[in-house]
Amino acid sequence: MAALASTQSRRVSAETLGIGIAIVAAYGVVPLAGSDYLLDAVLTPFLALALAAVGLNVLTGYAGQVSLGSAAFLAVGAYAAYNLHLRIPGLPLLVDLVLAGSIAAAVGIVFGLPSLRLRGFYLAVSTLAAQFFVQWALTKFGWFSNDNASGVIDAPPLSIAGVSFTNPVERYVFSLTVVVVLSLVTLRLLRSQSGRNFVAVRDHEIAAKVIGVPILRTKLLAFGISSFLIGVAGVLWAFAYLRTVEPAGFNLDRSFQILFIIIIGGLASLRGSFVGAAFIVVFPLLLSRVGAALLGSVFDSGVLEMSQRILIGVLIIAFLIAEPRGLIALWDRTWARTWAAVWPAKHPTIPT
Amino acid sequence: MLRLEEAPPDGPAHGQTRERGDANMRHGGHVPQPLARPVLGLANISLTFGGVAALRDVDLDVAQGEIRAVIGPNGAGKSSLLNVVSGQYRADRGEVRFGEHAFDEVPTSKLTAHGVARTFQNLALFKGLSVFDNVLMGLAHRVRIGFLRQIVGSPLARQIEAENRAAATEVIGFLHLDQVQDRIAGTLPYGVQKRVELARALVARPKLLLLDEPFAGVTLSEKQELSLHVRNARDSFGATIVLIEHDIGLVMGLSDRVAVLNYGRKIADGTPEEIRTDPAVIDAYLGVAHEDDTELAA
Amino acid sequence: MVDYQFLIEVLIGGLLSGVMYSLVAIGFVLIYKTSGVLNFAQGAMLLFAALTFVSLVERGAPFAAALVATLVIMVGLGITIERTVLRPLVNQPPITLFMATLGLSYVIEAAAQLLWGTQVHGLDIGISDTPFELAGVLISRFDLFAAAVAGALVTVFALFFRYTRTGLSFRAVADDQFAALAVGLRLPRVWAAVWTVAGIVALVGGLLWGARLGVQFSLSLVVLKALPVLVLGGFDSIAGAIVGGLLIGAIEKLAEVYVGPFFGGGIEAWAAYVVALALLLIRPSGLYGQKPVERV
Repeated sequence: MAALASTQSRRVSAETLGIGIAIVAAYGVVPLAGSDYLLDAVLTPFLALALAAVGLNVLTGYAGQVSLGSAAFLAVGAYAAYNLHLRIPGLPLLVDLVLAGSIAAAVGIVFGLPSLRLRGFYLAVSTLAAQFFVQWALTKFGWFSNDNASGVIDAPPLSIAGVSFTNPVERYVFSLTVVVVLSLVTLRLLRSQSGRNFVAVRDHEIAAKVIGVPILRTKLLAFGISSFLIGVAGVLWAFAYLRTVEPAGFNLDRSFQILFIIIIGGLASLRGSFVGAAFIVVFPLLLSRVGAALLGSVFDSGVLEMSQRILIGVLIIAFLIAEPRGLIALWDRTWARTWAAVWPAKHPTIPT
Repeated sequence: MLRLEEAPPDGPAHGQTRERGDANMRHGGHVPQPLARPVLGLANISLTFGGVAALRDVDLDVAQGEIRAVIGPNGAGKSSLLNVVSGQYRADRGEVRFGEHAFDEVPTSKLTAHGVARTFQNLALFKGLSVFDNVLMGLAHRVRIGFLRQIVGSPLARQIEAENRAAATEVIGFLHLDQVQDRIAGTLPYGVQKRVELARALVARPKLLLLDEPFAGVTLSEKQELSLHVRNARDSFGATIVLIEHDIGLVMGLSDRVAVLNYGRKIADGTPEEIRTDPAVIDAYLGVAHEDDTELAA
Repeated sequence: MVDYQFLIEVLIGGLLSGVMYSLVAIGFVLIYKTSGVLNFAQGAMLLFAALTFVSLVERGAPFAAALVATLVIMVGLGITIERTVLRPLVNQPPITLFMATLGLSYVIEAAAQLLWGTQVHGLDIGISDTPFELAGVLISRFDLFAAAVAGALVTVFALFFRYTRTGLSFRAVADDQFAALAVGLRLPRVWAAVWTVAGIVALVGGLLWGARLGVQFSLSLVVLKALPVLVLGGFDSIAGAIVGGLLIGAIEKLAEVYVGPFFGGGIEAWAAYVVALALLLIRPSGLYGQKPVERV
């Protein structure tokens, strides 16, 4: 017993250490070393997408409910935050953020209601309804975009208690803080009984029901939490990254992109959401650099975009075939192997 | 901590901490008489699937503290019966009683409230959770606090979590799962997974434990070990047990009373000795003509 | 005051365009029935087929030759997909297979445009789109032709499934994969055949839709029109795909004309989904889908 308890606490402290190092690195090193381009075009969108992927992973990876409508909740978050800011003068930014997430959660719960009767593909298709309905509503009703003809909204300046976040470094730090806090809260949730209930409903719904897991509440909670996180990610996307967004930016391709992040990164893994998001952000940049360097002018932007899509598609298939648990499983295996070489008696750790 | 490990695999398992159940109940000669309020009572259960009768007018009573087996050839309706009891299927006719509560259709989500737990024929573990978390899931119904309080870790939330962890640790020790408690359930051998499932059902200390083919697909030595655990579950945890099985040999030594199903009907019911010599049962298992098995059963 | 003649015109127009939805949906059902895969790449295959055909014609190939060449290419594509994507993923959960076809749709869509360019191609298959009048109701000649083609295709499939050896093995596999394996059917061969058939359906659908909308990227989006049809009809029923297509077509047009104005138009993007969802809440496996018996 005592031995077991100590391995467990050692694992927990190793994990805490890992998270701590990552956070310190993200705050300390990057703002000093990073150029504006790196922050603006790589790191800030990475954070927003990673948070969205964390949200989708809660729903799809942990609770097993496939959603093809993530972009809709990004949009709901972004437009809700915009309207709250516009219509309630003096609303503090953090309150705005939480309210926007809550509105996204409410919309998510409404679109999650079919999950009580539908499963698998039927549910996946029904989440497309959210995708199309939200995009249509935001374009159609001028009220959402303060009567902009094409539904475009401009982000207000970010400031909390007089401290404003305007330049790339500040916007990065703002996003990072939001993402860190919400990811840690999500981790807590997943380690609690509610989190175990998610996995139970995913792995065996009937057994979960027999045991007395409230299926309805568990599924709706998953939809709510997931949409909240994706909604806040939408605020970051619109306010901290792009600064100007339109409904068309939250299209089906964006939904798929977030789904791809969690497949490539690793289903049911929070770390996987970050790894996957990093991959999805960096990969196209790398490809265009490499393409430009190798082929120069032959490589026009159309060709580039098409080859990107082909490569992404191939990668998805390759991952599903070779490593359905994603990049994070590769990472863990490599890590365990290295570790075993250094410290032969140690058992491989179980990924979280 | 309960310690019953020392009992030999096929010997009688008298637990020091046995909570209830009379010693004489388990041994041959005495048959527990059906109580006025059996722990589980089935009356006239009939069930059809698209015109095919799976169960026809089945009665069954299960007394406090007994190990009650339901046997029968493949397709006899055993699993259907269990699924009616746990509410996965709704009987066309008949009634299911848990103690004093009667149901036309058992509400699956309220099973734990009536002290009923079950296992499944083809393993229904949560493959992605650790063994410990699987067992902990058996107490999910006790965590009746909102997710925000769980995240924040309110005193009540922490207290419940600690109590549940202690209970899970105890059952895990009882079923010798300590060594694997941090492993992901889906990666374990089949026989071990069966034990995990038993632990998950036992952790809530059910009054009534339904086991759907607990010995299917495991090796001989695992069978003996599992049957010991089943007996211990009754002796030490005070659970009344209903088990479905088609391995007759194993069941005869383990159960107090055996009911036999064939083609959806109950054709015999009694002590293992009575069943062993029942001509209808012999016919059913040897495949003799079945036209008149109702008469034989009567 | 309802203008009945106009109502009927809208209804017929809707039903006929519904036939086109059915045509796409049938491709899904064929693959779903035999291999349990919801093939999201069906739309991409449709685009690929139409784009290949148009480009061959534009490069001077005669109509028939282009048709045969495209057919051969689609068969090759189907077999390649079976070999490289589905076979390695055999026994994976359905949702994994679905995500693989999502990846596949990216590959096929982009490959089609990389090969043949991204510009819009006109496609003339020799049917004029001038309406004719029947009992005072205007009917589109093209729609009628498309419906006839779809009807012929469905009839051919029905005969094929009933009377040919390959057709029968399709049905055997659809009913029970394990039993089919046990009696010695070679699943990979059946799957290759079924992807080939799906390729043919994609070609026919691609030509008709291409002639209607022009051959371009957005052609692959008809997949999104077919999904509510599938939900409505049930993923595993050809009859469901046909009836669902007709219903969705009719509902969409009627909603657009009679309900749309209240919302400022544009509701056809989601009206079909809402109708399909509403039905699903009553019948979770669609109109004709098999309700799986949950065994525990």
